[in-house]
Amino acid sequence: MQNSLLIKADNLSYKINESKLFSGISFALNNNEALHIIGSNGSGKSTLIRILGGISEPSKGNIIKKEDLTISYLGHKNALKSYLSVRDNLDLLDLMDNKQIDNLLAEFDLTNKLDVTLGNLSFGQQKKIALLRIFINEADLILLDEPFVGLDIEMCEILSDHLNKKVEEGSGLIFTSHIASGIRANNFNLD
Amino acid sequence: MKVKQSLKHELIKLLKKTRAWLGPILVFILIMVAYPLTVELTNQSLADAFFPVLFISCLMVMMLATEGIFLEDYEDGSLEHLLITGGSIYQSVFIKILVHWCFIGVPVSIFGALFNIGVGNTVNSSILLLPSLLVSTYIFLILFCFGNSLSLTKGSVLGTLITMPLLLPMLVILGKLTTAIMFNINYFGFLILLFGILSIIMFIFPAIISKIIKTHLE
Amino acid sequence: MLREILIIVIKKFIHQFASPKTYFYQVNRIYPWLLYISLAIYLTAIVWGLFFTPKDFVQGNSYRIIYFHVPASFIAQSLYAAMAISSLVYLVWKVKLAAYLSRSIAPVGATITFIALVSGSIWGIPTWGTWWEWDARITSTLILFIMYLGLISLHNSFNNFDKADKLFAYLSIIGFVQIPIIKKSVDWWSSLHQPASITLTEKPAIDAVMLYPLFMAIIGFSGLIACLVILSSKVQIYKREKTKNWIKNYV
Repeated sequence: MQNSLLIKADNLSYKINESKLFSGISFALNNNEALHIIGSNGSGKSTLIRILGGISEPSKGNIIKKEDLTISYLGHKNALKSYLSVRDNLDLLDLMDNKQIDNLLAEFDLTNKLDVTLGNLSFGQQKKIALLRIFINEADLILLDEPFVGLDIEMCEILSDHLNKKVEEGSGLIFTSHIASGIRANNFNLD
Repeated sequence: MKVKQSLKHELIKLLKKTRAWLGPILVFILIMVAYPLTVELTNQSLADAFFPVLFISCLMVMMLATEGIFLEDYEDGSLEHLLITGGSIYQSVFIKILVHWCFIGVPVSIFGALFNIGVGNTVNSSILLLPSLLVSTYIFLILFCFGNSLSLTKGSVLGTLITMPLLLPMLVILGKLTTAIMFNINYFGFLILLFGILSIIMFIFPAIISKIIKTHLE
Repeated sequence: MLREILIIVIKKFIHQFASPKTYFYQVNRIYPWLLYISLAIYLTAIVWGLFFTPKDFVQGNSYRIIYFHVPASFIAQSLYAAMAISSLVYLVWKVKLAAYLSRSIAPVGATITFIALVSGSIWGIPTWGTWWEWDARITSTLILFIMYLGLISLHNSFNNFDKADKLFAYLSIIGFVQIPIIKKSVDWWSSLHQPASITLTEKPAIDAVMLYPLFMAIIGFSGLIACLVILSSKVQIYKREKTKNWIKNYV
């Protein structure tokens, strides 16, 4: 796929109750590129991801997106129903009939957990289920907010490999993380 | 997301939580049964005084039904996810209200009409009552959802307090309706009025609720 | 070319007026004039109404509370309308000053509605024999009062001001539907309340001698209430812009 601009931030600034969180943020992302947003706690990384996703409006500056940009997102919350079983949750996401789902479940070691209520799984296991939709989705831009939290070392490597492959195949990736990841990305410092 | 898919999702979500829809229906039946027991009146007075009790208990049951209706989706991040990945919150809200009405509003209306016969009113009045109950439960549901969405993160008491002023005109209309039913005058006029209100509210309020939810997500 | 210049000039004018700083200074200038003039008008109206108009045929002297009650209820409804319009301006054009104004109208509106209800019930005792009646207009004014309280509590329960402003705006616009209900309620349902004496289309049903002080009272009262709203909005501006330098210099 040719190199095209996915998203461009132009002099963004954000205020909460008239006190400035960050200002003057500018960057551009093409497909086949990954961007790692670094910053100390409270510097506005999650807010920046939400602005890029289109949920929050920046106080100043604007975002230029490619037309019909499809975004795949995983934030701090998993967006899964804890009172439904894993199978029902995957049904809700329309993932059960996908061919790759069985391979992925085997890779994450979760094949025998399909009928367990999601609330009974551990935090890391729930996160793995939430990550499934990132892997299967064919989106232009992947936004991840602290994706490595709660995952064991093996899973972190699997996640990094999958994301690297996705970037090579043509998606763009923006993520925040405190942990040194194995993802080949440019760094962007918010402080 | 297609409409059928969205419908299926909301159905799965509501059906799996039996407490959410069975609870309000049972509360309604409880109130209806408690009414003749606690009120020691003659048969005629029982029948006459039934309508206000019916409408007020419909109101309360709809309030129960909308408790936390959006909070669950908000807290586990589904709404956020839906918004970012390009879904339509309007569709989700509309179908959610529709599904809740089908599972709570319709049974409540049917039971209300049946109890109406039970306390001694004529079958004719029940037949007239049923469409107005169906429509007014939908309207109550929408209004309570509106209040609930405003106080999404602050608990449902504030939301109910906010919606109460908007409900009182509805109650006035229902009061006039009961006189119309009892004396059989001008009934269809009121029914058309209710339908008119519903048709306006049914499509506009979900749009407003989706804007309010987007404001909450910021 | 001329059109573009015009558009730029208008935009600049709106932006300049919409700045809280300009509003603050302008309002400070006109406030004393407004206060004294409307006080003078209202006091004249009261004196005229209380001492120089004849007794009513039916109600005797007790009707004179009209000079207090009617302006109050008129203002209560108009304030809500003003608040709804201001909220609409905020939602559509994102003018922050409009949000400050709507928020500052709310407590004034609540107090005035309360005064209208109380003065109405005081009037009710000599005329109808009862101090409360569940008729259409009184009940809808009570609903208006609860609506004001709901708006204030909604705004106060949020820490994030932007969110609070937007939700306040949505609720006040939706609640606007009750204003026509109040105005028309005495026409739709026959009730204890008398039908509207002053409408836009018909000849007034009230005698001219009593009408003029009534109009003066309404105008004077509006001026006084505008002063209250201005004070309230200044408080809002203090609260919200306290990090800005011009407030620090002013204080």
